[in-house]
Amino acid sequence: MTTHEWFKEHRTAFAVRSLEADEERSFREHLAGCAECRAEVERIERELAWLPMGASPVRPRPGLTRALVEGAISVRRGGPRWLMPLGLAASLLIAFGSWTWSLRTVASARDGFQRERAGLLHRLSMVEDTLGIIRSAAKVRHANITMGGRQGGLVIFADERTHRWNVVVYGVPAPEPGEVCQFWFITGTGMVKSVAVNTGLNTPAFLTLPMPPTGGTVMGAALTVEPAGSTMDRPQGEELAHLMM
Amino acid sequence: MKESGAESRAGAGASGGPVVRGLTLEREASLQERLLARDERALGELVDLVTPWLLGVAQAMLSDRDEAEEVVQEAFTIVWRRADLFDRESGRLVPWLLRITRNRAIDRLRARRRRTLKRTRFETHAAAEAGWSPATEPNEAALPGWQVHETVHGALRELPEDQLVVVRLAYFEGLTHSEIAGRLGIPLGTVKTRLRLAFDKLRGRLASIRDWVT
Repeated sequence: MTTHEWFKEHRTAFAVRSLEADEERSFREHLAGCAECRAEVERIERELAWLPMGASPVRPRPGLTRALVEGAISVRRGGPRWLMPLGLAASLLIAFGSWTWSLRTVASARDGFQRERAGLLHRLSMVEDTLGIIRSAAKVRHANITMGGRQGGLVIFADERTHRWNVVVYGVPAPEPGEVCQFWFITGTGMVKSVAVNTGLNTPAFLTLPMPPTGGTVMGAALTVEPAGSTMDRPQGEELAHLMM
Repeated sequence: MKESGAESRAGAGASGGPVVRGLTLEREASLQERLLARDERALGELVDLVTPWLLGVAQAMLSDRDEAEEVVQEAFTIVWRRADLFDRESGRLVPWLLRITRNRAIDRLRARRRRTLKRTRFETHAAAEAGWSPATEPNEAALPGWQVHETVHGALRELPEDQLVVVRLAYFEGLTHSEIAGRLGIPLGTVKTRLRLAFDKLRGRLASIRDWVT
């Protein structure tokens, strides 16, 4: 049997997922380059599409259907699986924080726990918000930045639904003393000053920015080095990155 | 094409209104459009319509109600967030949901097996029977989609017993070829042959299902 004959023989098995894990992987790789098998697998899937309804229906528990709707719509209650580890980590941190705090005093433990829990929930909420923007970003742009002999970059995730950007600046060293890295929006009427970016850290700078209230349509962004405390409304210093959306 | 109309059964569903029975191609297309437009009532209608069937397939495979509900939640979350992924040209909305649910259940089953936490259900055939056997209570027969269930069930019952067993293990319990061979104590080639014959018959019988009208 040739390789392709083997795949032909196992199209249905692949479609219903009864292949072994390694066979399934091989088949998926084969499909990427075989239009005939791809079309046939799609046909089998269409023809067997209603087969799961051979299982007996199960009446949902009272309140479940409403919970399913709310869970799907709400990020916090029905987030995708990749948010679950975050929730788990937060829960573990909360539990751990509570435990260590209670060793000192029971009375202060409750306050400490609540503060820590509130802080973690706030951070979790911010992470969820950030991930939400990244997930639904309509445009993603990247620019390389070379500064002080180091290679870094600027990444923008533009979410047109919420009109916000997630901006990531990574690998960029701190500017000289008395200088800051300044983020600018490029708008239809010129540059609009945004925020100073705290670079030079071991971790990337991560910003969530709303669109500027002035300047009209935002067309891009720039990152420059400016004198600290400058009140100039136009870039004066060296341009590190320039991105058009 | 038959129009489902606005026939309703008693009580309000997740959509907040009466539960509308039946699903024609037109209504399915309309639901898809409304989901893309982020219409929460459309999601509510879909949940009312298909949850018993998604729970049915997930619970038959996982034998765990809580886990089945989690899988169904994941499926609706995907539909709500990524309705744009659905290709109307190559498929249908409800079968897409059924496939997502079944695939998620299989992923969980296989992860469970990888952790070698095999459940006793894998040692008994009797429990699995409940997964696809027809319910005869009148209230079940009143469910939207029951006609499709009966058609599918009829097609399954027409299979010879040896083919039906391997289909049940492969499709409704998520076992692989080698796991079925091990379970039944028959050669791998025999499993493959029986499955191929069975699915060829089922494809012929089920391909004609179009509208989900009760």
